[in-house]
Amino acid sequence: MNRIKFFITLIIFLSILMTACLPSPSNGGGKRTITVYAFSVMKESLEKEIYPAFKEKWRKEHGEEIEFTSSFAGSETVVNQIQQGVPAQIAILSIERDVTRLIQSGHVPSDWYVTAQKGIVNKTPFVILVRKGNPKGIQDFPDLAKEGVKVIHPDPVSSGGAQWSILAIYGSELLKSEKAGAKDEAKALETLKGIWKNVVSTPGSAREARTQFETGFGDALITYELEGLLMKQANAPIEVIIPKSTIFSEHPVAIVDKNVKADERPVIEAFRNYLWTDEAQKIFVKYHFRSVTNDKLNENNPEFAKIELPFTVQQFGGWDKAYPDVIEKIFRDQVQKK
Amino acid sequence: MSSVRHVRGFDIAKPLSIFTMVGVMLPLILLPLASIFIYGTSSGLDKFWQALIAPEAIFALQLSLVTSFWATLFNVIFGLFAAYVLTKYKFWGSNALTVIISLPTAIPTAVAGFSLLLLWGPYGLLGRFTDQYFHIMFTAFAIILANIFVTFPLAFGVIKPVFETMSQSLEEASATMGATRWQTFWHVTLPSLRGAIVTGALLTFARAIGEFGSTILVSGNLASRTQTAPLYIFAKFNEGQVEAANAIAIVLALFSFFIFSVLFFAQSWLDKK
Amino acid sequence: MNIAASFTDISKKFGETSILEDINFDVSEGEIVVLLGASGSGKTTILRIIAGLENCNTGKVILHGKDVTELPARERGVGVIFQNYALFPQMTVEKNIGYGLKLRKKSKNEINKKVDELIELVHLEEHRQKYPSQLSGGQQQRVAIARALAYNPEILLFDEPFSALDAQIRQKLRREIRHLLKQINVPAIFITHDQEEALEIGDRIAVLNQGKIEQIGTPFDVYNKPSTEYVATFLGTANLILGVVNNGVFEAENIDLKLTDDLFFKNGQSVKLIFRPEDVFLRHPENLTQNYQKLIDGWIEEISFVGAFERITVRINFKNGQLITFTRPKTETENFPLQIRQKLEIGLVRFRIIPNFPLTHERSAKVY
Repeated sequence: MNRIKFFITLIIFLSILMTACLPSPSNGGGKRTITVYAFSVMKESLEKEIYPAFKEKWRKEHGEEIEFTSSFAGSETVVNQIQQGVPAQIAILSIERDVTRLIQSGHVPSDWYVTAQKGIVNKTPFVILVRKGNPKGIQDFPDLAKEGVKVIHPDPVSSGGAQWSILAIYGSELLKSEKAGAKDEAKALETLKGIWKNVVSTPGSAREARTQFETGFGDALITYELEGLLMKQANAPIEVIIPKSTIFSEHPVAIVDKNVKADERPVIEAFRNYLWTDEAQKIFVKYHFRSVTNDKLNENNPEFAKIELPFTVQQFGGWDKAYPDVIEKIFRDQVQKK
Repeated sequence: MSSVRHVRGFDIAKPLSIFTMVGVMLPLILLPLASIFIYGTSSGLDKFWQALIAPEAIFALQLSLVTSFWATLFNVIFGLFAAYVLTKYKFWGSNALTVIISLPTAIPTAVAGFSLLLLWGPYGLLGRFTDQYFHIMFTAFAIILANIFVTFPLAFGVIKPVFETMSQSLEEASATMGATRWQTFWHVTLPSLRGAIVTGALLTFARAIGEFGSTILVSGNLASRTQTAPLYIFAKFNEGQVEAANAIAIVLALFSFFIFSVLFFAQSWLDKK
Repeated sequence: MNIAASFTDISKKFGETSILEDINFDVSEGEIVVLLGASGSGKTTILRIIAGLENCNTGKVILHGKDVTELPARERGVGVIFQNYALFPQMTVEKNIGYGLKLRKKSKNEINKKVDELIELVHLEEHRQKYPSQLSGGQQQRVAIARALAYNPEILLFDEPFSALDAQIRQKLRREIRHLLKQINVPAIFITHDQEEALEIGDRIAVLNQGKIEQIGTPFDVYNKPSTEYVATFLGTANLILGVVNNGVFEAENIDLKLTDDLFFKNGQSVKLIFRPEDVFLRHPENLTQNYQKLIDGWIEEISFVGAFERITVRINFKNGQLITFTRPKTETENFPLQIRQKLEIGLVRFRIIPNFPLTHERSAKVY
């Protein structure tokens, strides 16, 4: 009988304790919080420097302490989460098409950008990462289609990076053939098919793909240049291979209007606009993103590679065309279905 | 049938079977667990400690602890109640209810999370009406709900068989001696269920604290707000911060070890008398 | 003697099936009544109805003058000793015994005093701190009785209390319990399917068959003067011979037996003659004593030795060659040895005539 009483007391005690400890979702001092959902590789630059810098700036200008909280996942996953109702206020996405999806679902207004960069905050070229010493002798995208090369490639269903990668492969082949004489779409398709045949794993996001590659799986990984540079910085035994021609991925930022209250709007807009200031752009460059506002800033990073034949999604006529034409009609219908 | 083979009076079946058992467990359970510990501490205890006391990590552990506690409390009380009702009364649909309660065992946890989203999410069946007044999804409550869903059958499953084997005459004896239903439950039924309740609670808690699939869908996975320990581990792993992931993984592993040790050793103490 | 409890016109149905019909009996102060019946006879249901664990469809349960038919079990103040004793496994002997008093919000002192008293009564002084699982079957039973006695029950109900025990200690415990019940003078109802147990422990026995009381009476009467064939055969072995009654004489083929009992039968009524194996008296024809009524001649078919006595099967002088069995003690076996196929003249020391009803369920309980 006493044991029962002991248990009941214990449970009541624990209940009180657990209520007291229920971590308060908002921050202790009632500080305002900006909630950011971003695609995976944004993590370091945002958390380590952009947030602290903006907090400091906001404190100086308005005397108010603010907090950031964020979640990182593949770009498409972020969009799905927002559409399911996560309280994101700012979305930093890998591809512009994802902003379009948010506009369609009514989360983001159609006039979502205000700057000359059309909502793009930074960019980075797509490169190939290989093991140290490049044992498979990979120099360009077509080499990835060679027999016996194990390629890690994020999943285009959930990752924006994966879609960039597909555009990079396909577009580079088109551009190279075009420079050599005539656009060879058949060859581009062939290369894409060849590479896809060698894909041994499709993780959910570019960052997940990198972690897998880091743990020793696969021979090559197609990813954002900054991922390669971050890995080299951490002395990972890899090499960054710069294709002769590749795409620059461009990353948009949008305010999720639905989750922004009127009194929060100024600070949220200020934060968004801050991303285009020289201060923020310099931070991006430091973290191996390339600036979209000022090419001079990019000279600050000696690691940035020179790309012979760079291109952007405009090559395909923007995401509105690139997605249906390349990702759907070519990749999904002709490559993946095989 | 088969005679045990003895080598000079020594039964070799014993070491052989033990050896086989450990041999099977080694690559399946023991080595993966060991690798967490080896990897987690390989870059020095200092780094391990730093990873452990990171505010995000502490928050995640705390959130897991609290949400699991409430889910456990609810499920044990409900499980007890449901087991009581379903063993005491036979009614139309009682078997169906027993099956439904057990259902979450077979449902993928991601589906559990998804179904909650479809119900309580801002665009969900009920959520579209309620979300403007109070948020359930993407808060700690969502995590508790998901934990409740996923661990629903555990306490019930442990408590019900004990109820069933409990002699009805104990309760009848209590009644003839002058006890009300409540007194009988309190003095006679509950003490007999002590062991089952503690076992059910620990199982539920252990399962809830490690829950991932449903939580990632309903929590919003915001660091220091709605990120539980397993989500933290996954996030850190994805970010390539394997040490940080490992540190928390070790804490969870040790925690489970503790829980199951308690289960194992406290059982006799609880069942006694 | 004062009536302690009475049960009138109790009946119970489960759906269409009748479990109990017209159960009427009462228990006097300090009396032990045994409900004897095979499994399915309804004896457990009666007990549960008295205890308030089950409802009856009609009838009344009256305990010490108070109609408790509509009261729940906990308000009846009845002490039940369950078949498996149903001791609370998480409570010590002391706590088990004190439980009923604790529920009645008695003071600690009062409870302790009563518990001490009862523990002494049932001789469990050394075991008071033990848990039920640490006790033997007999000790558990004593705890169960003490536990029920603690709150001065209106009546004690025993549900097959010996069935879980070894045959050897059963007999000892029977005597102990009877002694104890007589000492404390509490009315009790026992249910059992064991006729030997019923005969030994009961002041009166009610024989139940298919939900009805066939006969109720002292062990002597029920055994020696069964009023139905069922009672006769359920309590030990009985020989049965079909016949009719005419002018106070039982007639069947070569048999003419003068009725000694004050039973009344119509002339020509179909009846059965019942007698127990030990009530047969025989001699060589020339030795048949005048005090006993001669029944019929017969020839020995089989002789078997069963320890304390000898069992003999005889084919009587009937057209159908009916067999009867009787027993005789060792003393006779030695003085008058018998052989197979030997002719005998059979006499009866004691017999009983009952009306003949072909089917059990058509028999009325009110034949006497």
